[in-house]
Amino acid sequence: MKKLTTFALIAMLASQAFAHSNVDTTKPENGATVSEVPSEINFNFADDIRLTKVSMIHQEADSVTLDLGDHTSFGREFTLPIQSMGKGSYRIEWRGLGADGHAMRGEFTFTVD
Amino acid sequence: MPDIWGIGAILSKLMLYVGVSGATGLLITRAVFADLVSPLADMMRSRIALMAGLALVGSVLSFMLRGAALTGGIDGMTDPEMLGLLWQTPVGDVLIYRAVGTTLMIAAVFIPFVGQWIALAGGMIALWSFCQIGHVPDLEFTGARLLLLLHLLGGAFWIGILVPLRALSQRPEYLSSAAMLGHRFGRLASVIVPALILAGLLMAWMLLGDVRALVATGYGQTLLIKLAFVGVVLSLAAANKLRFVPAMLSGDTKAAHHLVRSIEIEALILLVIFAATATLTSVLTLPN
Repeated sequence: MKKLTTFALIAMLASQAFAHSNVDTTKPENGATVSEVPSEINFNFADDIRLTKVSMIHQEADSVTLDLGDHTSFGREFTLPIQSMGKGSYRIEWRGLGADGHAMRGEFTFTVD
Repeated sequence: MPDIWGIGAILSKLMLYVGVSGATGLLITRAVFADLVSPLADMMRSRIALMAGLALVGSVLSFMLRGAALTGGIDGMTDPEMLGLLWQTPVGDVLIYRAVGTTLMIAAVFIPFVGQWIALAGGMIALWSFCQIGHVPDLEFTGARLLLLLHLLGGAFWIGILVPLRALSQRPEYLSSAAMLGHRFGRLASVIVPALILAGLLMAWMLLGDVRALVATGYGQTLLIKLAFVGVVLSLAAANKLRFVPAMLSGDTKAAHHLVRSIEIEALILLVIFAATATLTSVLTLPN
């Protein structure tokens, strides 16, 4: 019974559909390769969300927390300015609050080549 | 895998579920079977207060962990901006329901006579909080909240009977009381349990909308795990009702020993069912 219980708990936590991440589209697109570092990034969500933290991680540099500026209310579209960290892959990690109180998170990546 | 805040959210929800259902269930049991559980009055009072305390801690922790999930760091648990944001959403409303409900249970359970009814009202407020936010209350169907409340009430009653039934079964001098408690609850359960399961299946159908989603999505798979364990716990309950309790009614003390063991396994499985529910309601997204 203990083994069965442990298996059930692991199986539940191993599920892939976590985090209520409902981002619709991003600019640059997830997985895209671009020739120049964009001056800003853009998120489009399916439902209203209040962004609470957005980090940019470059493959060869430290992670930086992006300034959310005036984005202090619920909305579906957000545009944030970013600073160039040179060529390489960028990962954008975001966290936010859904209007229903759910904490959400997600990420997307793009490469500058 | 959920991040550390997601796992924290599941664990705090688990505390909340165990605490609210345990305390409310014990209060219902005390109200319905007052004559049979009177020898356990002191133990039940302190257990109700303990369970309600666990629920209160779980509620506050769950709220603060949402703050941490918003920033991705432990600082979010006390960040006034994040907690203030949460406070303005339905999450803040349910924290109030839960704080009021559990505090009423803790304070009123020690007041003689009218206290148990005030505490029971506290339990109902705490249970009703689960009907305010989440996947089921979000459904565009007016009866969904009532179905959920029915499901929660039935579940709480079932859980609440386990503590006094186990305690009485462990004491040979109360064998007849234990047998009668098991027998009378068994009769009620033949109505409550099918209603509980029917309400659960109806909600699952409304949430998923498609049988394929049961196997094709993380939400459906976790629901299947929950249903499998519900099946196991039902088999144990059936064994209790059809085998051990009738044997106890005819004075068999060995059957009481088996019932105690069966209740302990039942409690462990109920914990897994709660963990599955906490995963479904905390971190899994509904299949669209």
